Amino acid sequence: MLEISLPPRAQARRAGTAADGDDDDDVDMGGAGDRQLVTPGETITTDPAFMRGHGTFTHEQALVASVAGVVERVNKLVSVRPLKSRYNGEIGDVVVGRITELGPKRWKVDIKGRQDAVLLLSSINLPGGVQRRKSESDELQMRSFFAEGDLVSAEVQSFFQDGGASLQTRNIKYGKLRNGSLVMVHSAQIKRSKSHFIVLSCGVDVVLGVNGYVWVSKHVPITPEMESDPEGLYSNQNEPMTESERETIARVCNVIAALGRQNCEIHESAIVYAYDASLDYAVKELLKVPVQEAIVSQASALLRQAATQ
Amino acid sequence: MLIGASERDFITKGVESGIRADGRGPLDFRQFFLETGMITQASGSCRATIDFGTDVLAGVKVQVGDIEGRVDSDEAQADGAMVEDAGAGDDAETGAQSRGNVGRVVCTVECSPAAKSVLDAREVDDMCNEYSQILTRTLNGPHGGLDLQKLCIIPGSTCWVVNVDVLILDYGGNVLDTIFMAVRGALHNTRLPKATVEQTDGHFEFDISDDETEILAGRESVPVAMTLSKIGTSRIVDSTPLEALCSAAQVTVFVNRAGNVCGLQKSGKGSLEPSILIDMIETGVKLGTELAEKLDAVLDREERDRLSHIEPTGFR
Repeated sequence: MLEISLPPRAQARRAGTAADGDDDDDVDMGGAGDRQLVTPGETITTDPAFMRGHGTFTHEQALVASVAGVVERVNKLVSVRPLKSRYNGEIGDVVVGRITELGPKRWKVDIKGRQDAVLLLSSINLPGGVQRRKSESDELQMRSFFAEGDLVSAEVQSFFQDGGASLQTRNIKYGKLRNGSLVMVHSAQIKRSKSHFIVLSCGVDVVLGVNGYVWVSKHVPITPEMESDPEGLYSNQNEPMTESERETIARVCNVIAALGRQNCEIHESAIVYAYDASLDYAVKELLKVPVQEAIVSQASALLRQAATQ
Repeated sequence: MLIGASERDFITKGVESGIRADGRGPLDFRQFFLETGMITQASGSCRATIDFGTDVLAGVKVQVGDIEGRVDSDEAQADGAMVEDAGAGDDAETGAQSRGNVGRVVCTVECSPAAKSVLDAREVDDMCNEYSQILTRTLNGPHGGLDLQKLCIIPGSTCWVVNVDVLILDYGGNVLDTIFMAVRGALHNTRLPKATVEQTDGHFEFDISDDETEILAGRESVPVAMTLSKIGTSRIVDSTPLEALCSAAQVTVFVNRAGNVCGLQKSGKGSLEPSILIDMIETGVKLGTELAEKLDAVLDREERDRLSHIEPTGFR
């Protein structure tokens, strides 16, 4: 499998079927009903009565957008909500992050936000009983809990003065991630919902981080014994895996990546429908754009159908 | 970039069992995209992209320059010696003659800030320096493909200098192979203004044509790069950034269309057993030849489109 071709847009252009907004003038940039799309530097209004909100600045009495996005108005306050931005956390969000640094009694965690989040030693479950005092030896062996590069799932607990998030993993469903791989999508594609921990019927667990990191892993049931097992909680050992399990994980990863690239919302039913649609193709075929388009359109048709019923 | 212990284990075991994290087999590639001629100010240009991965833009600008002076001619001498070693059949005299009448290729690789954000700043500088050197060495070397003697305008004084500038726009693994694809495309796309030399009583004078151009001689035998990364006990092509982090050692084979090995580069800190090294080189030659053939097919089509005045889409 080795293919070199023209970029899709060039292909469409040369074939004379440039359908995807080839020239600027067939895209209606403004005034599409109540939704106004702006690009950086575009004047939103020249009416001095409006107040400048996020994503805007004033230039020669005009209100100008500083980001590409959708104009939102609350009374006299005009702001632009960016189409693409770094993750803005909210308390209670389930996030997936990567440990980047160890500090005094804390870990720095990359959650794709404007700054790294903090995971305090006091906000994790220590091996050997939940209600235990942190001792100095815990502080000395922090790297045996989480080391640089490890992936964790956590919940946003609170915010510091400077806007940095503080995380916690004091629940058996949070903690170190194993037995799988990471898929990255835009944070806007994952909405906050009841279930961010999904168990798919194909034997795969999915953790949908609101920050756009999605963890796909082999299904390992949580048992009460695991909670008190000091080794298991922070182990780096993966479970043994068969080839078909590996393939299923790869398939789910590719399905989620396809949904991400086709700018779809990612939630449980979207994944399930797209997964079912993907079964007609081999796993590595899911990397091709036409196949991605096919399964995503099939999945969104099924979603619409389910919504009308 | 960082990777966790369990991720590393998952990727390593996956490669060993023949199923990579994205479902590809060990010798499967991602989709490559390539277009040439989008920079009108350059003599030749090409953009090569891996689907949702590495993005490389290469530009070629030719200029008239002096044939390198005394100090540098030592290097040329070394190259000349290598040609003889390679059994090109040159005798010492023609070797000495050729020193004063070759043009040269100057390559630089730079990294855009967007790609830099993924990698460590120091890593990026090292990477760019390394790749600039590999490119310069390969293209100026005896097996670089381009006919450097044809770049000479006046023997002993004036020649064409081919500046190859590569910009890495996005990082998504397998950078070197993509750079070579882009450079090969850009050289294929390059048009050299026609230079005519007149000799009047011992004096050489040359005139550069405004509208007449010619292609670079030997562009079809410029090598492509094929990098194989050793992960665990197996080897893969077209590694993703995470796979690159799990790889102990990489072997890059430079192959031309005829399937000849034009160079070999080993990188990474790990070691290679003789058996896997031989396997990697053989696989590299096989896949590299295939890549060169497919690349040529695309470049030939680009050439036809150019002749029929179909404009490249470029960044629009």
